[in-house]
Amino acid sequence: MQVDLRKPEFVMKLGRLGSFHQSKLSFLRSFIREFKDWDFQTHILELDNFGFGHGVYVVQKGDKQYSLVCFSNHLNENERSDRVIATKWDASFVLYDGIPSSEDIQRLKDNVPLQEQGRVTEKELCLSRANKSVRVFEHVVDRLSQGHQPDTSLLYSVGYLYRTTAVYGSGKFGLADRIKIQDRGELKGPFRLEMMLVYLARQFTFDVVNHVAHHRSPSTAVKLSDDIARNLGIGNSTGLGMAPFIVNHPALLNQWIMAKEKALQAIRSLSSVKEKEIETFQSYLSTIQDNIKYWKTDSDYQVQKNDQLIHDLKDFQKYFDSKKIENFFWNDVYEWAEKQTEAECCEFIVSLMMEVYPHIVEPLSYEMSIDEEDYFDIDTSRNINEICQLIEKQYTWLLEVDFKEKENIYNFWYYSKNKQEPRLSDRFSEEGAELELPLAIARDIQNLYKSLKKTDPKKDLSFYLSQDQQYRHVLRRVFICEQLPYSEIQDNTISKALIPVDMLRLKLSFFGATRFDPRSDRWVRITMYQGAPLMKEISLSNDSWSYKKIA
Amino acid sequence: MHSLYEIETTVKRSAKSQGLSWGVSEEIGKAIRVLEQSGLQGLESFKNIIDYGFDNLIKLIDINQKETSNLCPIHFGIFFQDQSHLKEMHQTFEFKSLQEPLISIPFLIKAAKKNLIYFHIHSDNLKISITPSEMTSIDQNKIPNLVSNFSMNVTPQRQSQYSDKTWEDLYQLSLETFVEETEEKKLSGAGAGLSDND
Repeated sequence: MQVDLRKPEFVMKLGRLGSFHQSKLSFLRSFIREFKDWDFQTHILELDNFGFGHGVYVVQKGDKQYSLVCFSNHLNENERSDRVIATKWDASFVLYDGIPSSEDIQRLKDNVPLQEQGRVTEKELCLSRANKSVRVFEHVVDRLSQGHQPDTSLLYSVGYLYRTTAVYGSGKFGLADRIKIQDRGELKGPFRLEMMLVYLARQFTFDVVNHVAHHRSPSTAVKLSDDIARNLGIGNSTGLGMAPFIVNHPALLNQWIMAKEKALQAIRSLSSVKEKEIETFQSYLSTIQDNIKYWKTDSDYQVQKNDQLIHDLKDFQKYFDSKKIENFFWNDVYEWAEKQTEAECCEFIVSLMMEVYPHIVEPLSYEMSIDEEDYFDIDTSRNINEICQLIEKQYTWLLEVDFKEKENIYNFWYYSKNKQEPRLSDRFSEEGAELELPLAIARDIQNLYKSLKKTDPKKDLSFYLSQDQQYRHVLRRVFICEQLPYSEIQDNTISKALIPVDMLRLKLSFFGATRFDPRSDRWVRITMYQGAPLMKEISLSNDSWSYKKIA
Repeated sequence: MHSLYEIETTVKRSAKSQGLSWGVSEEIGKAIRVLEQSGLQGLESFKNIIDYGFDNLIKLIDINQKETSNLCPIHFGIFFQDQSHLKEMHQTFEFKSLQEPLISIPFLIKAAKKNLIYFHIHSDNLKISITPSEMTSIDQNKIPNLVSNFSMNVTPQRQSQYSDKTWEDLYQLSLETFVEETEEKKLSGAGAGLSDND
């Protein structure tokens, strides 16, 4: 039986993309798989009694070395903010290429806590900062200092001790350009350095609470138990800054989605299934149904999605219990999920199916990067009529949108002068629309199409471009989409109906985030590495930690 | 020092701020990035163009265009990048002047590679050839801020850069790796049968 890839017009809708879950392809999991045989060491931990100071963690294999330099600073209550508009943080981090000298550490100490206002150099690879979850941090320190382990129901309802609020890489604020590291074998997956930074920062959060608890009461303090620490991740608050990335990197987006779709296609194409494989799937399904109760959110949007997921999973469980072992078992399972459940559950089932077949899925994680420069240039020898046909075929959905309607052009994306981050605003009540970013892809491709239609169809694109360069930025996307079918989100990103959190969720699911907790329609809290092996036990990881019961 | 990412995004945004389209701004961001990565003063040249003002520059949009003074190097480069696949472009053009010719070079390099063509620019103060090969050598001290009354030959024909004597000397040396053939070897060495008429 021939099973096709799912069609882009089905997959690339934001409602579905915004329902993706972490999987074996997620970057934090592929980071651990790649680095599990590296040596992880605490190199320096120089903190005062209150946990302020710095630490350095070194990851090395042979002559290759990376170091996370962490700074912990005092922060007044009224200065603590997760929003990107903050200017001070409890902790700040920088990933250094090699092992830093004391001069490097001093230089970094003067700059890294300042984040966007500081400068780093090409010796540094990634930059980040984090704030304490004050309630959890104080509780943990208090309990440990008294010789007791903390209340796990409180801990797991939050899921972390600190949450990061941004992770910067690839040349920002003077960091090394991607070109410096792109040929390193261990960094062949997307965002691998960012994943390394967050993983090591998680270790720093454990070391800080243990250190502070010890100094608060040296005679009674105990260390946080490994079992509890393992079930804590590191949080992240993410705003709109992340959303334009997936629009601005169409070729890369295609690679991520294509890897997932190829994995699903391969699994659905399996003609037979073993009892053991069904048992593995069921065990993960049962664990996650238990763990969902820790997914806390105040967002009505996410509460409704989670409730629907729980409801759909119950129905799915009934179906799965009665499902006979037949040829193309997984194809039947997938088709049932697609027809009978909402996207949130269907995509969850897809992630679970991928867990059962590491030999199919894991190699695909090496196909998730791409050299975007190879797709930048426009083939101007192509005929205008041919390009119109290409748009009609690839962008059918947007040709019918009426962009004269206020609802369809309601929002505009712009770049904030204050924080150098993308933002979204109402075009009709706020100023700045004349400085709109080129993220209104649907509107601009429709305009390009109309403009091409007014040109002699026998001429080639070089003729068109000599007359008009206004839509050059989307013309190159038409060519990218021709070669890379999952490169375009097939929704209007300036519509009033847009839910920006869906764009964040798409990217965060590929990072490997869990426990989506939208704080509004445009920023979200998530957890990373919850359940992941601790630094000292990373070599023992078998990549099943995402499906460990939290208790 | 700024990262190449910062250079590219800053140039892209500042080009947009001057009224260029997003697509053209993306192109110039990448071009200046390439120049800076190659150790050439792309950013300085771009700043000179901004200071000069795009309103004071002429866009090249047609090969038969009469007005070719004060040409904009961005539109000059993009024009040849977009048009050079056309056979009618393979000729020699005469232009009156081009501001900051350095900026046009990354575009011409792309066009040369993609279409396997050569650009030979010639004036009193500048002589430069851009080829489809991987190696391009540019001395920034020899690229003026303005090139006047220059010609540009666009051709798919490679030009030889060596004397006949150099070639002959090297060819004779290459023969020293060959084995002299006897009549017997001529019959057996080529692997053919006794008759080619079978």
